[in-house]
Amino acid sequence: MSTKDESSTGLTDKPAGLAAEARSALSRRDFLKATGAGAFAVAGGGLLAACGSSGLKGAGGANTKEIVIGYVSPQTGALAEFATPDNFVLGKIRQTSAYKNGFRIGNKTYKVKIIEVDSQSDPNRASEVAKQLILNQHVDMVVTSSAPETTNPVAGACESEGVPCIATVVPWESWYAGLGGDPLKPTTTFKYNSMFFFGVPEFAGCFIPMWRRISNDGVVAEMFPNDADGNAFRAAWPGIIRSIHYTPVDGGAYTDGTTDYTSMISLFKQKNCEIYMNCPLPPDFNTFWKQASQEGYKPKLATVAKVLLFPPDVVALGSLVNNIATDSWWSPFVPYKSSLDGQSASSLTEDYQSATGQQWTQAIGSTYSLFEVAKEVFSLASDPHDRQDVADKLFKVDYEGICGPINFGKGPAPGVGIIEPVGVQWKPGRSGKFTDFHYAMYVVDNSLNKNIPVNATLDPTNA
Amino acid sequence: MTILNDIIQGILLGGLFALFACGLSLMFGVMDVINLAHGDVAVAGVYLAVVLIPASHIPALWIFVLVVPAFMIGGYLVQRYLLQPSLDSGAITTLLVTFGLSIVLENVLLEVFTANSYSLNVGSLVSSSWQVSSQISVPYLDLVILGVAIVVLVALQLFLVRTRTGRLVRAVADDREAAELVGANYRHLFAVAAALAFGTVAFAGLALGAYTQVSPTAGPTYLLYGFEAVVIGGLGSLWGTLAGGLVLGVATTLGSQVDPNLGSMLPHLVFLFVLAVRPRGFFPKRAVT
Repeated sequence: MSTKDESSTGLTDKPAGLAAEARSALSRRDFLKATGAGAFAVAGGGLLAACGSSGLKGAGGANTKEIVIGYVSPQTGALAEFATPDNFVLGKIRQTSAYKNGFRIGNKTYKVKIIEVDSQSDPNRASEVAKQLILNQHVDMVVTSSAPETTNPVAGACESEGVPCIATVVPWESWYAGLGGDPLKPTTTFKYNSMFFFGVPEFAGCFIPMWRRISNDGVVAEMFPNDADGNAFRAAWPGIIRSIHYTPVDGGAYTDGTTDYTSMISLFKQKNCEIYMNCPLPPDFNTFWKQASQEGYKPKLATVAKVLLFPPDVVALGSLVNNIATDSWWSPFVPYKSSLDGQSASSLTEDYQSATGQQWTQAIGSTYSLFEVAKEVFSLASDPHDRQDVADKLFKVDYEGICGPINFGKGPAPGVGIIEPVGVQWKPGRSGKFTDFHYAMYVVDNSLNKNIPVNATLDPTNA
Repeated sequence: MTILNDIIQGILLGGLFALFACGLSLMFGVMDVINLAHGDVAVAGVYLAVVLIPASHIPALWIFVLVVPAFMIGGYLVQRYLLQPSLDSGAITTLLVTFGLSIVLENVLLEVFTANSYSLNVGSLVSSSWQVSSQISVPYLDLVILGVAIVVLVALQLFLVRTRTGRLVRAVADDREAAELVGANYRHLFAVAAALAFGTVAFAGLALGAYTQVSPTAGPTYLLYGFEAVVIGGLGSLWGTLAGGLVLGVATTLGSQVDPNLGSMLPHLVFLFVLAVRPRGFFPKRAVT
């Protein structure tokens, strides 16, 4: 009876998945092929899930001589800026000897195949494609990047299907809560999941030193939306701000896509908020910041999270972006190099800029590291198709790569590796390989990570 | 004082909504077409401007001199060769065709421009404002948008009342058969109305691009506000559309004064309320006058 139930859910899942496939830019031929493959997977789906949950070994890998890694990122949709360098990075990864010649595990060499899929910045789609990777493509591992909307549903699908998963570019609290843990009491271990990035304490460690240099005992304007990131920030930040004897002013939980911020701006002006911080969607910050400027709210220092991480937002805001500060988890200025082929961060960035003709973005480093970590995990395992074994090794990785040293065993929660970010500001470009653009990102505060050199002074956003 | 500022900002925001809605209102008023692709057409205007600005060296503020005529031609062709055949086979078909157009436009933009969002950089206009008092400031950009909305509505009205073509458009809107009997070519006149509607939506798109940052999929959100403005004002009435836009704008700012979430919800509640008590809107008129 239970088998019947499982296969019937498989059947009802399927048409939705295929419809989504059809929406993406697949050719008709690809679509027909996928439909064919899908039909087989439906039959096997229930069985596979059963294998995973009963912990049987060797559920993955249609071909035992090949390791299959699925990569889920938001290539289109609202968060697509995060995935801009995907094509370049995957190209680079595939050229490294480990990925080109295969991983040497025990005394066998396994070929490696990477399958990339688009979450369309949509949580439902992310979960759907993760399940397709697991059930149809029999991936041995899923890696995923860029904001909770993609990483959390993917991590959830991997946990329930019993497939090892590594995530990045998501605050760890949000990732942990998404899997059902309590970030305030991070004792639960999620068997198949690990991630590397940073969280609220690192945001604080990055922003607060900058605040102190511009405004003492300031009043901090908080613009936190009513969404996953906004509510996580609202829970954590007022306490942090009071603990350093600054005063928080909450602008209220507004809905994403709000078109008018007059009431919030009046409040910030009235309370004389010298510091401004936020975690909005990029278009909302664009609207807010223009209106703030029009209506005369000019904070001494703006430290933003989740926006202005990448050049397109910066171009869209024009000269109003000058001296807005944010966090940076990676840049060509970091002194680190690839664990796969030893290429330095600056040389990788030069390659990116000459290959794409575009300004560098910090997502290059994090996406690259996903595949470094994947290789570390498989190298520790004795059988790459033994999901239990591979999953155990997720927690054992301790290595140094293009994002610097990451230790998955010593984070704030099980399976969390921390990268220490630095404070950066957007300023007009100047000559130099990585700054010769209309606006460029400069490191202005390295309180958290002294390895990364400061290359510009911290200036007030509005003097 | 705060309330006064909210009302002023609301009226200014209403200008954007009204500008957005007048093309919808015109197309519905003249040929009963509910254009579901309206928001996407506006967004396409921003992307066209993004391409044309560097190519033509025209500043962003004046790029409408290229975008608006291009959209008017596009509107004429879309009506004549896409919507007209569907109109001939029923209202539901037309609705589906505009829905299809919306999806096609979104995906074409995604394909060509990826999901990157863009904003039109109109220079110092975007950051300067007229400081009335410490609490009240009137942003020039918003003032310009409201001004454009009013100019566009007045110009449309004058065109429809004072010119021969305008009178013919009204005639086919009121009674197509009768107008045809006296020699009006309704297919051409419908296409003229669509050209005007697309011209106004190009203005709306450019205003939106200066006001915020748009992505290829942003259209439907603004379509919703446009619809509500049209329904509140009364279907097919241009002045009603302006009033509807202003009501929505003021509802947004007053609502967010109480609670930031109410700012997004109150306009929709007002819309529901108007539908319940005056289903035909404030200034119901079958055809444009």
